[in-house]
Amino acid sequence: MSLIIGASDSDLRTLRPSDHRTLYRIGVDVGGTFTDVVGIAPDGITTLAKAASTPADQSEGVVAGLATLAEALGLTLADLLARTERIVHGTTVATNALLERRGAKVAMLTTEGHRDVIEMREGLKPERYDLRLPAAPALVPRHRRIPVRERLRPDGRVEAPLDPGSVDAAIASAKAEGAESVAICFLHAWRDPTHERQAAEAVRAALPDVFVTHSAEVLPQIKEFERFSTTAVNAYVGPVVARYLTRLRTRLAEAGYGGPVFVILSHGGVAPVEEAARLAAGTALSGPAGGVAAGVALARQGLGQDLVTFDVGGTSTDIALIEGGEAALGRGREVGGERIALESLDIVTLGAGGGSIAHLGPGGLLQVGPRSAGAVPGPVCYGQGGTEPSVTDANLVLGYLDPGNFLGGKRVLDRAAAEAAFGRLGAQLGLGAAEAAAGAHRIANLRMADGIRLATVRRGVDPRGFTLLAFGGAAGLHASAVARELGMARVAVPVFAAGLSAWGMLHTDLRYEVSRSLEGAGLPGDAALRETFAALEADGRARVSGWFGGEVAVRRAADMRYGEQVFEVGVPLDGVDWEAPGLAERVAEAFHLRHEQLFTYALRGEEVALVNARIAVLGLLPGGESRAVLPPARTSVATRHIRLEDGPAEVPVHGFAALLPGQAIPGPAIVESDTTTVLILPGDIARMDARGWLAIELP
Amino acid sequence: MTRPDPVALAVLENRFRAIVEEMGEAMLRTTYSQILNSSRDFSIALCDAQCRLVAQADHIPVHVGAMPFAARAVADAFGDQVREGDIFLLNDPYHGGSHLPDLTIVVPVMDNGVLRFWSLVRAHQTDIGGATHGGYNPAATEIWQEGLRVPPIRLGEGRLPRPDLVMMLVTNTRMPREVRGDLMAMIGAAHLGEKRLLTLLGKHGGAMLAEAVEAIFDLSEAHARRIVADWRDGTWEGEAILDDDGHDARDIRIHARVTKQGDRLTVDLSDSAPQTVGFVNSSYPNMRSAVAMAFAYLLDPEVAKNDGAFRPLEVIAKEGTVVWAREGAPVTLCTSHCSNEIVEAVVKALANACPDRAMGGWGRRFRIAIQGRDPRRNRNFVWHLFHARPGGGGSARGDGWSTAGEWHSAGGLKFGSVEMAETRFPLFFQHHEFRPDSAGDGTHRGGFGGELALVVESDGPCRGNTAGDGARHGSVGMLGGEDSAPHRYVLQRSDGSERVLATKEVGIAIAPGDTLRVQAAGGGGWGPPEKRDPAARAADRREGLVTR
Repeated sequence: MSLIIGASDSDLRTLRPSDHRTLYRIGVDVGGTFTDVVGIAPDGITTLAKAASTPADQSEGVVAGLATLAEALGLTLADLLARTERIVHGTTVATNALLERRGAKVAMLTTEGHRDVIEMREGLKPERYDLRLPAAPALVPRHRRIPVRERLRPDGRVEAPLDPGSVDAAIASAKAEGAESVAICFLHAWRDPTHERQAAEAVRAALPDVFVTHSAEVLPQIKEFERFSTTAVNAYVGPVVARYLTRLRTRLAEAGYGGPVFVILSHGGVAPVEEAARLAAGTALSGPAGGVAAGVALARQGLGQDLVTFDVGGTSTDIALIEGGEAALGRGREVGGERIALESLDIVTLGAGGGSIAHLGPGGLLQVGPRSAGAVPGPVCYGQGGTEPSVTDANLVLGYLDPGNFLGGKRVLDRAAAEAAFGRLGAQLGLGAAEAAAGAHRIANLRMADGIRLATVRRGVDPRGFTLLAFGGAAGLHASAVARELGMARVAVPVFAAGLSAWGMLHTDLRYEVSRSLEGAGLPGDAALRETFAALEADGRARVSGWFGGEVAVRRAADMRYGEQVFEVGVPLDGVDWEAPGLAERVAEAFHLRHEQLFTYALRGEEVALVNARIAVLGLLPGGESRAVLPPARTSVATRHIRLEDGPAEVPVHGFAALLPGQAIPGPAIVESDTTTVLILPGDIARMDARGWLAIELP
Repeated sequence: MTRPDPVALAVLENRFRAIVEEMGEAMLRTTYSQILNSSRDFSIALCDAQCRLVAQADHIPVHVGAMPFAARAVADAFGDQVREGDIFLLNDPYHGGSHLPDLTIVVPVMDNGVLRFWSLVRAHQTDIGGATHGGYNPAATEIWQEGLRVPPIRLGEGRLPRPDLVMMLVTNTRMPREVRGDLMAMIGAAHLGEKRLLTLLGKHGGAMLAEAVEAIFDLSEAHARRIVADWRDGTWEGEAILDDDGHDARDIRIHARVTKQGDRLTVDLSDSAPQTVGFVNSSYPNMRSAVAMAFAYLLDPEVAKNDGAFRPLEVIAKEGTVVWAREGAPVTLCTSHCSNEIVEAVVKALANACPDRAMGGWGRRFRIAIQGRDPRRNRNFVWHLFHARPGGGGSARGDGWSTAGEWHSAGGLKFGSVEMAETRFPLFFQHHEFRPDSAGDGTHRGGFGGELALVVESDGPCRGNTAGDGARHGSVGMLGGEDSAPHRYVLQRSDGSERVLATKEVGIAIAPGDTLRVQAAGGGGWGPPEKRDPAARAADRREGLVTR
C-alpha cells in the first residue's frame, strides 16, 4: 500500500487510465454493519466504498457496495465489472448460520456404538461456575445420528465390514427425517476412508439432492471428536453457504461479471467458490481473516515482521499474531459453541468494541461489555433509541470524535445525549459524566490489552517487541493506550484502517490445506516420511491446478509430540532439507527446537511421535503495488478540546489525507479521516509513512 | 494517599483476574503430565499479605476456598523469615494442603522488603509415592501409606529451587521426570504472577493496592450478600450418604445444618459421621473449600471468587468427623469424596431457601486404572479411565449436561479420544455412548451418564485399581426430582462370567479378552417429574435415552 496525498475527485479521474482493458481487483468484506468494497486498479490506485450490509441476503449489500465503488470511480456497475479480473469475498454466512442456528437439517451416519461423540463434547461444558446453564443441544440431534454397522482398527484392519443393509436402513431413516444434508462419520476413517466413501456413494445415489460430506474428506486426522464435530459443522453450513454463493454468482452474472470469485477462508488463503461450498466449515473465520491477511501483506511491505493485528469493530475486537511475517495458525476454534478443527488463523475475539455497553456490573464495579448496542439501536449518540452509554459514546464525550464529521458527515452524532447517558451512569458511581466516560474508555483499553496479553502468552510470545497494527473503525482511538499498557513501543494505523480487511483479501494467495494422520506412535523413517509428504503434495497440487494455472508453492509442516504427551505441537518443516539422508533426525530436531521455543525446554532423549503430516499448497496470485487514495481532507489543521487521562487539553486535529510523507506529529493530537480517528497521546510521535500508514512511536 | 476511585477499582479487579488467567495459560502450555495439560487438574490463586483470596482462575472448582490455607500455613511456618525470591512448597493436608497428590507452590510478592501478596499454584501430580501408583490407595489406613508428606518447606531462594531438594522429592515418586517437569512449570507460573504483581506495585504502590483490595472485597461481599438476602430465612438440614470407606464403614453420613438469616449463612457440619478408617475423610482446608464451592454454585456465576464473596458464610465443623479428620488419617480421595457429598448436603439444605438456584446432583467419581503389558509395542502401560463420565444435574433453567462429570469438576475435565486410546493402548472401545435411563427424572431431568464396553487386549494378565464412590447411591434428585441410577462397573470374563467391581479395590485381576462394562450414573433431576413438559419427555424417548 502506498499513499497518494490529498487526491481529490478530479485527481482521481486524471489518475485513472482510460484504457478499456484496465482490470480491477476487488475485495469485498461483509461486516455486521457495513459491507466494505476495495478496488485496486493495475496502477495500484486503491479506492474504498461502503454500503449498508444486508443480513437477510448478504449478496444484495455486496452488489450495492460494488455499485458505490463504480460510482466513486466514475463508472457504471456493468463497466466496472466488465473490467474486473478477480473478486475476493469475505463472508459471514457460515458464521451467522452457526451463531443463529439456521443451518441445514443434518443426518449423521456413524459407527454403531459411538453415536454420541459430538454431544459428549469430550466431557467439557462452558462456564465453569454456572451449573444451571441448560445443556446445549447438539448440532445434529441424537435421533438423526444413525448407527451403521462397520468398524475399523487403528491400523486399518477391518474389524467389521460395512454392512450394506444397515447403510440402506440409515438412508431410509435420513430420508424419513427429511434430512437436507448428510454427514458420514466413522471411527478410524482417518486411517482408511473406504467405508465412508462407500456409504457416501450410496447416499448420493439414493438422495441426489442432499448435500453429502464425510469426515475423511473434511479432516483426515485422528481424534474423533474434532473430526466428527468439524464434519457435522460442514454438513450444517454447507447447503447454506452453497445456496448463498450460487445466489451471489447469479447476481454478479446479472450485473455483468463473468470472472472468477474467490472466498477467503479461515486459514487466511483464498479458494474458488466451489471449494468454499464443499468445505464450508472452512469459511467460519472468513470475516476476520482479511484483516490478518492484510497484516501479512503489510509485513511484506516493510511494516515489520512481528505484528499484533488489532481489529476493533462495533461489537468485538479480533486479535491475531504475525511472527516473522507469518500469521499464527491453530486448530482449536469454536464458533457458536461448535468445534471446527480445520487449520485456521489463531484469532482471539473479545466482546469489546465501539458498541460495548458501559454499565454498573452486578458486583458494583464499572464494566464495559460484553453486551453491545450492536448496529441497532447502536450507541446513544446515533439517536436510534439507544439509552445505555457505549464506548463510542465515551469517545464522543471525551472529544475524540467529531460529532459533525462521523463517516464523512453522513451521520451526525448527538453529544448531549451521550453525555446525559454517562451522567446517569456516573451518578451511580459518584462520578461526573466526563469522568464516567473516561473510566469506560480506560476499561475498554484494559480489556483489549488483556486480550492481547492472553493471545501472546498462549503462543509463548512477549508482545513488547511487536508492532500493534490498528484497524477497523474504532481501533485508532484505543491503540496507543493499549500499546502503553502492554509495553509495546510502536503502533501503526493504515490509511485504509476502515477497509483493511477487504484490502487484505486482495493480497493473499490461493491456499489448499491437506493433512494425514500417521498410523501408530513414533517417527517414520526417511523413506516413509518422503512418501507420505509426496502423496499429500500430489493431492494438493492436483487440487490447486484445477483452480488456476499459475505458480505454485508448497509448505510442509507436522504435528508432533513426545511419546506420552497428549497435545501435539505444530512444527513448520520448510527449513528442513528434504533430500539429504538423515531426514527423520532433522525433523525430530525441528520439533525439539520448536518445543524449546514454546515451552522453554526440550527432551532430546525422549521418543518423538509424528501424528499428522501437513501440506499447504499455495497458488501465488499476482498482487502488485497498491496506493491508497483518500478523499480530500475536510479538516485542515484545527484544534479540538478533548479530555485526556490527566485532564482537559486543547489538541491539534490533522486530516489523514493532508499529512505529508515523513511529517511528524507530536502527541497529544488527533488524526482523522472520514472513516478513522487516531488519538495520539502525550509523548507519542506519529510519522506519516509513504507506504501508507501512520507509525506512532511511544515514549 | 487517597482511596482508589471507582474506575481504578474496576481496572485493578480486571488486572487481578487477568493475572491468574495468564498464569493458568502458562501452566497449560508448560506442564508435562497428561493430568495437568489435558485434565487441567490445577488451581491458580493470588492472596494478599493477610492470606486472603484476591483472585482465583476458573479451572477446577474443587480448590476454590482452599488456597488461602496454603498461604496461611507458609506464613505461620516462616513468619518474618519470608524473603523476596523464596519459593515455598507444601502438600500435607494437615499443614495447608488438601491431599497429598496436590503440590502447592507459594511465592511471596515483596515490595521494598514488605510482603504484599502471595502467588500460588497447586497442581495434581501423576504420582506422589506411597503404596499405589497415582496416589489413590483404598487400602490405606493412615496417611503415611498414601505418599510423601511435605509440610511447608523453603524449596529455594533467589527464585531458584534447590536441586537437592527437588531431587529428594522426585526420587520419592514413580514418575520423577513428570513430577520434576510439572514442578518447574508451577514455579514458572507462580513467578509470572509475582512479576505481574510487581509491575502493578511499581505503578500504584503497595498502600494503594492494599486499599483497593479491601474495597474490592467489600464490593464482592456486598454482591454476595445482596443475593443471599433474597433467599428465604430459616434453618434446614441436608444429608448426603457415601457408599462406604473401602473398609467396614457403610452409608457414611455427611450432614449439613444450614441457617440463613438476612444476608448471612451458617453451615454446620458437626453432625456428620465420625472419621473413617479408609481414605474418604476430608482434610480441614478441603472441607472449607467444598462448602465454598457449594456456595459459589448457588450464587451468580459472575460473583468474583475472592475473600469478600465468602464473608457471608460461616462454617462450623467438628474435628474427628469424616469432614475434618484428625492428623494421621488417610484423606486422598477427599477432593472427590467426601467433597462431593459436602456440596450435596449443603445444596440440599439450601434448596429450601433458594429453590430456583439449587441444582440436581452431579455425579460421583469412580476411577479405574489398568496396568499391564502392550503386545503391539512390547512395553508396560498404565491407563486411567476418564471416559463414560457421569451426568450433571437438572436445574430450574433446564435439563442437565450429559457426561459432564462430577460436582468437583463441573464440566472442566476432558476425556481423551477413543481413536487415540485404541492407537496407544491394547484396548478396544466396543461401545461408548450415553447410558439410557441413567438420568434422574424431574421437571428438568439430569444429564445422562456414559456407558462403555472396553475389551482388554493386553499381553498376559493386567491389574486394576479402583477409587471412587456412588455404586449404591446415585446423583441426588432435588426438590422432588429423582435420584439418578448409580454407577455399575462389571468385569465380564471371556467365558461369560461376571464380577461387579467395588468402588475401592486394589489388585483386580483382569485377563486378556475380558470386557470392562462401565455404566455411569446420570445427573439428579430437579423438581417433580409430573411437571415435566410432555414434549420434552417425548423427545427423550425419540432420542432413545428414556425407554421406561
